Amino acid sequence: MNIQDAIVQRVTDMPMLPVVVSRLLEIIGEENHSTSDVVRIVENDPSLTIKVLRVANSAAFFRGHPISTLNRAIGLLGEKMVADIAIGSCTLQVLNRPLKGYDSAFGELWDHSLCSAISSREITLMIQNGVSPDLAFTAGLLHDIGKAILSEFLEGNVEKLIELWDQKQVEDYLEAEKDIVGTNHSEVGYLVAQHWGLPKPLCAVIKHHHHPNLSDKEYIELTYMVHLGDIIAMMYGSGTGSDTMAYRIDPEYQKHVPISKQGLAVLFLTVQEKFTDTKSSILASEEV
Amino acid sequence: MSTIYVGVGEYAVSRTPGDVIKTMALGSCVAVIMLDPIQRAVGMLHVALPDSSISRRRVGEKPGLFADTGIPILLDEMKRLGYNGNGNLIVKLAGGASIMDPNGTFNIGKRNVLAVRKILWNHRLGAVAEHVGDSISRTVSLSVDTGKVVLSSPGRGEWSL
Repeated sequence: MNIQDAIVQRVTDMPMLPVVVSRLLEIIGEENHSTSDVVRIVENDPSLTIKVLRVANSAAFFRGHPISTLNRAIGLLGEKMVADIAIGSCTLQVLNRPLKGYDSAFGELWDHSLCSAISSREITLMIQNGVSPDLAFTAGLLHDIGKAILSEFLEGNVEKLIELWDQKQVEDYLEAEKDIVGTNHSEVGYLVAQHWGLPKPLCAVIKHHHHPNLSDKEYIELTYMVHLGDIIAMMYGSGTGSDTMAYRIDPEYQKHVPISKQGLAVLFLTVQEKFTDTKSSILASEEV
Repeated sequence: MSTIYVGVGEYAVSRTPGDVIKTMALGSCVAVIMLDPIQRAVGMLHVALPDSSISRRRVGEKPGLFADTGIPILLDEMKRLGYNGNGNLIVKLAGGASIMDPNGTFNIGKRNVLAVRKILWNHRLGAVAEHVGDSISRTVSLSVDTGKVVLSSPGRGEWSL
């Protein structure tokens, strides 16, 4: 079996997402959904409800009285945080793994994904052009899902990949990946997205996050936001090892996401504030 | 004897034998490293942005986020450990990576490095060694015992600065 066939096989062998996660992602992918719709999914799923209650009763939020109902947890944490916990904890299992093929330690892929998710959402809140903040968050969280599969096939090639980039023999790390294994993490991520039947906007972002100009017209703004969210996460210091910063910014981004130097600095500060809080809440939702 | 981790916008100083000060995965942020050979004290600051005028509130909470407010604090901390302010400090810089942006907006790394150099200059200091720019991630560790600054980057191994 050649490498590409082996990668396809590995994707096909991936377990399907739990029904509740698929439903959650489907809702987020719908236009005009609200955060309350996400909360309703949590209400109807005992395992997600338990996770949210765990956060509400964790040291960071505990106010002296144990919280045993979802409503009171929502009152304490806010709908947005509840949605973050639901989405974040669902993706944690898939994303929380070391990427040996990128010389990246355990936890870095999930950190990078969460940091990109927060950055992408903050961009939507700053630009306010109608792209759903929840959708940007989720797309940011899942954009690098392909690395979870591709990493294994890149093992032993890190030096070669870096050399290709350093010597400017490739346009970016994506092209270096393609040189070595005949495909890249965006293409593999797209295979995973299709395997899981993810909503179209998420598929588009996963496939085109490094070249947003090629994304489906309908999702081009969203793709540009995650493109920049990903870059901001890397600049912030949350990358996935050897490919960190080894990409190019799409020169047309200002047309889609007009952002000033000052705006970017404010974004950077917001990400710095929110990343640690959101991360500790999502981690508190997991059983110790 | 411990490893002290310096997060984004944080700083640390030490002259305790065995201590190592470490900052992980600098992207566009810059590590300002100071060594006082007389006191055998070291310090590190993790700067995220060049200029504090962007947010008064954040300056109050975390002055180390900005080059202009962070460097004076690191200097004060070095003085607390005995630095006499005579300019006999060894300064080194690492980080400040950038992604090429034709619009210049995303060149925060480059602007961080320029701001740090300028503010050091205003304090009559200059870096004797730098490993800055390019498009790579850098982890820095600084040992009190040896004064050695070691950089590393995924897939690139480690080297001294």
